[in-house]
Amino acid sequence: MFMLRNTLSSKGSAFVNHFKNAAKYSTETVSALKTTSTPAPQEQDKLFSHLEVELKGVDPAVLKSYSWFATKAANHLGIEVGECYAPRKAKHDRMTLLKSVHIYKKHRVQYEIRTYFRYMNFHKMTGSTLDTYLEYIERNLPEGVALKATSTELQALPEHLKDIPSVE
Amino acid sequence: MSQLTRFLERNLQNPSLRLSAIQIRHLSSQAEEEKSFDDEEFRVLNLRPTQVQRQQRRVYKKDEPQPPRTKVMPVDQDWPNVWPGPRTFHPASVPLPLRQGFTEKNAPPPSKYGNAELMKIPNFLHLTPPAINRQCEALKKFCTPWPKNLETAEKWEKHFPVEIVKSDYCHALPSVRQPEARKVSLKIKLSNLKFDKHSKDKFLRLVGDRYNHENDVLTIQTDRCPTKKQNYDYAQYLLTACYYESFEVEDWEATKSLADMEVYEFEHNKSKISTEAILNWGSSGDKKKVDPGFAKSVETLINEGENEYNLKKYKEESKKLLGLK
Repeated sequence: MFMLRNTLSSKGSAFVNHFKNAAKYSTETVSALKTTSTPAPQEQDKLFSHLEVELKGVDPAVLKSYSWFATKAANHLGIEVGECYAPRKAKHDRMTLLKSVHIYKKHRVQYEIRTYFRYMNFHKMTGSTLDTYLEYIERNLPEGVALKATSTELQALPEHLKDIPSVE
Repeated sequence: MSQLTRFLERNLQNPSLRLSAIQIRHLSSQAEEEKSFDDEEFRVLNLRPTQVQRQQRRVYKKDEPQPPRTKVMPVDQDWPNVWPGPRTFHPASVPLPLRQGFTEKNAPPPSKYGNAELMKIPNFLHLTPPAINRQCEALKKFCTPWPKNLETAEKWEKHFPVEIVKSDYCHALPSVRQPEARKVSLKIKLSNLKFDKHSKDKFLRLVGDRYNHENDVLTIQTDRCPTKKQNYDYAQYLLTACYYESFEVEDWEATKSLADMEVYEFEHNKSKISTEAILNWGSSGDKKKVDPGFAKSVETLINEGENEYNLKKYKEESKKLLGLK
């Protein structure tokens, strides 16, 4: 995905560009880019201030090992690791049925599914770093674990909202 | 047996006799054939085939089990090469004295050989620290560092006031579609947009409870389109449309009278005229202006209602205005 970004840079409809021309910076400093931001020959990297990864699974030990792996990988890739925590109690999905086929209402049997959660937070990453990292940890997701990645992207104010519109 | 050998010895000594014996056998077999062809007898149904010799069953020789691979592993081997990818636990490949599960009370957990408990749980033997290190080194060339002048939230909010929140899902379900993934929310602090008094009021009325008065943040969450991209464009459209619409002034807005005002404003009310009349009593030259502190106290008294603090403030401001002690 991150490889595709550079190749597909020149494509995109005028409508999309209208919103996207707000600059997305990558490696250079802000002051350096200010001068060169007007002509955009290729799509610039996005900026993400925050990434929250929610893990969901039936085995808390697996979630713990996985989050250890994910934070270790983030440290290697130079991503700022924020708060990582797990709620103390699992979510219990209970189903209560009659023990007998259709009579003896006082005698029940109860089945339950326990779902454990774990949260990890990462801060300040560029678009290519985020794509690389997410791809890496998603490929190594163990069986029976679901992952939800919520990212907060930073965007400049669109040109058409910068000034008070002239009333006709 | 011994009789037979003796008979054969005797026959071999006499070749002519031996030949004749062969001929006789040949003739007799011919006669038998003819007989079976001529007689149309029933074939014998042999219910108990005891006479038929049983064929010897082939004996499969089982190979001796090899000793576990862990016995020949060197101490300084490259583990990521031994276990390169995710794989079910295999006791002969893992040189660790693992034990898991329980059988009876006060007994040690069963060893790793033939242990289903170890095979059920997903293991992380392919994600050892050296393996992670190696993979991350290879991935580093795709990563870019965070820009230098944007270390704190204050700095990046100055250049990038718009926040787009999106979610991605990765799970093992029969369907790869996750309906929640289409949601997009756009957040912006209203202090980043330029408003005049009328448009600000109209904008807040348009966005309704999407605006949080406490932290000045407007949140537009869109989920009515089927894809994330469409919802993102729709959120941008909503922000633009609300902003431009707030600057539109309708004709009927000019007919708004004093009674239609939502809040009391000192500037447009009788109170200002009366106060100025009192201040400029008898003087014909330069007109005295009303102290803004007094105007504020009157506004809070009427907007917030009469309470001890507001009344006291109003009293003080009135005394100051009239020069009383």
